[in-house]
Amino acid sequence: MSGVIQTSIASLHDVELSTLAATGERRAFGELVRRHGSAVRGLLRRMGAQAAEADDVAQDAFLAAFERIAEFRGEGTFAGWVKRIAARQYLRRLQRDRRLSALSADEGAEEADPAAGDADHRIDLDEALKGLSAAERLCVSMCYGAGLSHGEAADALNLPLGTVKSHVKRGLDKLRTRLAPSDGTALEGRRGNG
Amino acid sequence: MAEVDFERRLERLFAEPPNFPDSQAFVERVERRLNRGWTARRWLIGAAGLAGGVIGASQLLMSNLFQRFETAQHSAKVLGQGLSHVSSTTDMVSALSGGYGMWIAVGLAVVTLGFAVSRVIEEI
Repeated sequence: MSGVIQTSIASLHDVELSTLAATGERRAFGELVRRHGSAVRGLLRRMGAQAAEADDVAQDAFLAAFERIAEFRGEGTFAGWVKRIAARQYLRRLQRDRRLSALSADEGAEEADPAAGDADHRIDLDEALKGLSAAERLCVSMCYGAGLSHGEAADALNLPLGTVKSHVKRGLDKLRTRLAPSDGTALEGRRGNG
Repeated sequence: MAEVDFERRLERLFAEPPNFPDSQAFVERVERRLNRGWTARRWLIGAAGLAGGVIGASQLLMSNLFQRFETAQHSAKVLGQGLSHVSSTTDMVSALSGGYGMWIAVGLAVVTLGFAVSRVIEEI
């Protein structure tokens, strides 16, 4: 019987599941966690969180999302909504532990591996992000992973907008090089960027 | 244009969730915490109801309710007899000023208490 219910829940759209969850249906919310848990955990790790911390924050973010599920009206994706909650929770944790200011001051903490700039070395996003400084990584992940605007990221990070923009730009430049496919598209991209 | 293409590509890469071997365990941990929260809430509501009931009952007993009720009944009877000589339309006044009135007040107090408890539970 519960298997039948589980199957019918699994066939529902995220918005339908969130509507059900808003009535207190925890199995519907469990299905949403099943669908988007990895995306949220992945984002937090990409923002620079260690595995255990990323999982803690992701759990807290899902619990917070369940409490506030009535606020989700399906205007964006559920994954995007939870990712923004998770990103803000992670930043709050960094601020609480006074790690954010240290992180903002930390320019170019990790030097890019020269070999990684070689277009013949195709690497995945997670590897490519390791070549960014902590601040660049955080800003790029927030803007392209959590879907925050530069202004929202600046507010959340309590940094000037210009600083966030320059972190994003430097991060994108490094990623463009590191994620370059072997056909030289990245070089074209760099030329196109001026 | 290439810049925009790269940004789109980056968004797509970010949107691809990594595969975690322990993703099922993660879901179970979240569900467990959800259930724990609900269980705690149920216990809290039950405990609040029990405490409210005990306090309400003790207050009723300590306020010599039954003695007051008898006195009120007697007063109502005397008042009712007096008023019946004045006019038959004063039945309602008589009822409210006596035992019925007190029961209505108790009922209203219970409703108010129930409302207050439900507000507290909502806040929790």
